[in-house]
Amino acid sequence: MKSRRKAVARGESAGDEWIAVSPAALRETLTELRDQQGFEALSFLSCVDHLAQPGSDDSNRFELIYELRSYQHRKVLRVRTFLAESEAVAPSVADIYPNANWDERETWDLFGIRFEGHPDLTRILMPDDWVGHPLRRDYPVGGEVVDFSEEHEMWETTPPQA
Amino acid sequence: MTETIPNTAGVSITRQPADHLGGEILTVNFGPQHPSTHGVLRLIVDLDGEVIVSVKPVIGYLHTGIEKQMEALRYQQGVVVTDRHDYLSPPINNLAYALAIEKLMGVEVPERAQALRVIMSELTRISSHLVWLGTSALELGAMSVFMYCFRERDRVLEMNEEISGFRMHTSYIRPGGVMADLTPRFVDMLDVFIREMPSYIEEYEDLLTQNPIWKVRTQGIGKLSAEDAIRLGATGPMLRGSGVEWDLRKTLPYTGYEKYDFEMAVEQAGDCYARYLIRIRELKESVKILRQALDGLPGGPVNVDDRKFLPPPREELETSMEAVIHHFKLFTEGYSPPAGDVYVAVESGRGENGCYVVSDGTHKPRRVKFRSASFNNLQTLETMAVGHMIADLIAIIGTTDAVLGDVDR
Repeated sequence: MKSRRKAVARGESAGDEWIAVSPAALRETLTELRDQQGFEALSFLSCVDHLAQPGSDDSNRFELIYELRSYQHRKVLRVRTFLAESEAVAPSVADIYPNANWDERETWDLFGIRFEGHPDLTRILMPDDWVGHPLRRDYPVGGEVVDFSEEHEMWETTPPQA
Repeated sequence: MTETIPNTAGVSITRQPADHLGGEILTVNFGPQHPSTHGVLRLIVDLDGEVIVSVKPVIGYLHTGIEKQMEALRYQQGVVVTDRHDYLSPPINNLAYALAIEKLMGVEVPERAQALRVIMSELTRISSHLVWLGTSALELGAMSVFMYCFRERDRVLEMNEEISGFRMHTSYIRPGGVMADLTPRFVDMLDVFIREMPSYIEEYEDLLTQNPIWKVRTQGIGKLSAEDAIRLGATGPMLRGSGVEWDLRKTLPYTGYEKYDFEMAVEQAGDCYARYLIRIRELKESVKILRQALDGLPGGPVNVDDRKFLPPPREELETSMEAVIHHFKLFTEGYSPPAGDVYVAVESGRGENGCYVVSDGTHKPRRVKFRSASFNNLQTLETMAVGHMIADLIAIIGTTDAVLGDVDR
């Protein structure tokens, strides 16, 4: 099959079947899987940050996961693609699987992956003026000032004039 | 072009498409603090007269960073966090997480634990559907249904308390089995509940199924075609209400659901009323499953006998040095599943509730992603609502059964 030739790797993880493709072949692969192999629904789309993990470097820091589901064949298939840290850009699949729209916004919001061709790539879970992408592994846990707390008073209020 | 929708209640609603009103577009900000948004959902609604032109949901008001928290916790600590995303069905969230970890570790739980997991899942489904039924009916003006539903839901919460010590965030289902065996009092409570529940469901049906107001407010409202439901990632009653036969308990059985005799509820109409009928039928089917699970409850242990995975029983600590070592290792470092990733989906009251776990071979997960049914079901809102009156939007939000904690995680 055509899509099988495009897959750079395939395998099984804990019993789940997966294929890996290059970001450039992603749209074509997903279209083909949907139209010819009956994977009509996208369960979810997400990202994994492999920062400082043995076997991964800057060239494959981000891994995008597309979990596809076939209602007719009662199957699932995972499609992976790796992105470099310096070029965290992937083609949007929101026109192939419309529910990818929010998932891609979420992935942009939390991981900072840009989806080219997305109709409205804005933050979805975090406030619009948020700085940074919280689910990246190098984003610090804690450290934010809690609104209306004593700390907030300390940081946000100008000290009385001496 | 005026569209007339006949219905069996003997009342016909006349609906005019937006272009015939031809007025100015009015933008209304609906929520986030609004009683009928089931939490803190904000909608930016464009109206032409009273007809909805577009709906743009704004979410994130209940984002608590659960997925980030999971990365900082050991595998067995993560269970308590899973309770809190879909806060109307904690045991089902626990189940998805536990199954994912077990699949990653290659562990099979004993039969008694599987049956207890089924019992808790079905009790949760009942309580979750009751909250949906009560609040949706309340929003459409049927006050007493709400009172009736919460009366029965409280009995489920009491059973939760009896079996796990907590009314809502039970953390009862854990990787490797369940927290504890059931108590004799729980068996009595469950038995009475199973015997009485069918008559309660009849009560709700008496109030709603043939109620002309309920029918006018739900029939033909919020239509979703099967194609749109699949395309937009809808699952659960949203998908089955549009005629797609898909219930993970039936189609990809987990934790022993293949052993129980029950029917998948499917309706063809794809409107709010169809989804109401589905949820009512699921209540009845859940009671059937509970009866079978309680009567055929197998004996034996409720946890896997694996000291590398679960701590030894307390009394062993006093006599066995090895038990002390295992106990110490598990509570300081925890266990480390082999590197890899796994996705497990279970059927919650709302649809496909999935858990995706990536292990990098250490004792904390590299990534945990919750695939929530509410997040995807809410995306169908615009497709369903456009062309309806603003008052129908209340019925349509209700029918998605979105839990905002589950949407925002």
